[in-house]
Amino acid sequence: MTHYIHFSNPNSPEMIRELEAIPRFPGTCFFMDINKSTDIKYSGGLKDWGRKLNNTFNILLYTNHFQGNVVKGIGDEVMLYIPDDELKKKSSNNHYLGLLEDIFASLFIIKNHADPGMFLNCKVAIHYCTEVYNITFLRGAKDYYGSDIDLTARLMTKSFENRIVLSERFYGMVREDLSSLGVPENETCLTHVSDKFTFHFQGVPAPTDYRIIDVK
Amino acid sequence: MEINETKTELCTIVGIIGRLDTTNYGLLEKKLKELIDNRQIRILVDCAKMDYVSSSGLRILLMTLKSITQASGKFILCNLQENIKEIFEISGFNSIFEIYPTQSEALKYF
Repeated sequence: MTHYIHFSNPNSPEMIRELEAIPRFPGTCFFMDINKSTDIKYSGGLKDWGRKLNNTFNILLYTNHFQGNVVKGIGDEVMLYIPDDELKKKSSNNHYLGLLEDIFASLFIIKNHADPGMFLNCKVAIHYCTEVYNITFLRGAKDYYGSDIDLTARLMTKSFENRIVLSERFYGMVREDLSSLGVPENETCLTHVSDKFTFHFQGVPAPTDYRIIDVK
Repeated sequence: MEINETKTELCTIVGIIGRLDTTNYGLLEKKLKELIDNRQIRILVDCAKMDYVSSSGLRILLMTLKSITQASGKFILCNLQENIKEIFEISGFNSIFEIYPTQSEALKYF
């Protein structure tokens, strides 16, 4: 349940106390962006655009059972947040490796589907977040705030069509799953992962390490 | 997940038992690749006992379809459970795969 923050007194001491007491919700944040959807809206018309957007969101969200994790969508962009306690409760794919594999597989299916007119290609950024709060300042809204959410959005600037950008922290969680589940690395999408890159994103105090997976 | 294999005069029948997901899709990938490498390119996948498939499992089926089509073989699926049919519809797989309700029906198309 998202914690609603609202105080009419801008200097309310209760507001400060409440903000200080808000618990963190560690988990995995995804940003997904569907490429070229605006172009198609104008060139192919609303029906073609709507059909492809519907199909693409279905394969990204419904096939992977992520529909309950959508925090917000703005047009062709979606932010998902999967808190750890929720991930661990899932009956299947209750690990970070599973999340990565299924997103990789979804992008693969979209790119390689025999009907090229069915879906639109996507780009994705994934980060494991510890500094994150399930709060909103807007009544009735569901949201997550925190520096790690901001960083996931920054990572998105390194992604392109058919690419997954994953923070080094998330990559580390996936590698831990590999050992604990006993899955051979050469049987996973990690065979496609790049070496580590480092970039100092604007507004982020320290450089960020990340890797990329290009879906072929 | 378990995989069983039955050779017939018409094709190789691969049965998937249990959940096909991230932790085991490699087994199916290995099995199907092994068949294709041995020129057994007429394959029927019987999904009667497959009760879940994740995107990772779908990816393997799509890759296999591409390989077998390129090799001029035949890759058919049968006996999909209701929840699997829904996933196939969402992913547009029902329009690119040959799918039949029973094994005996599917065997007529080899």
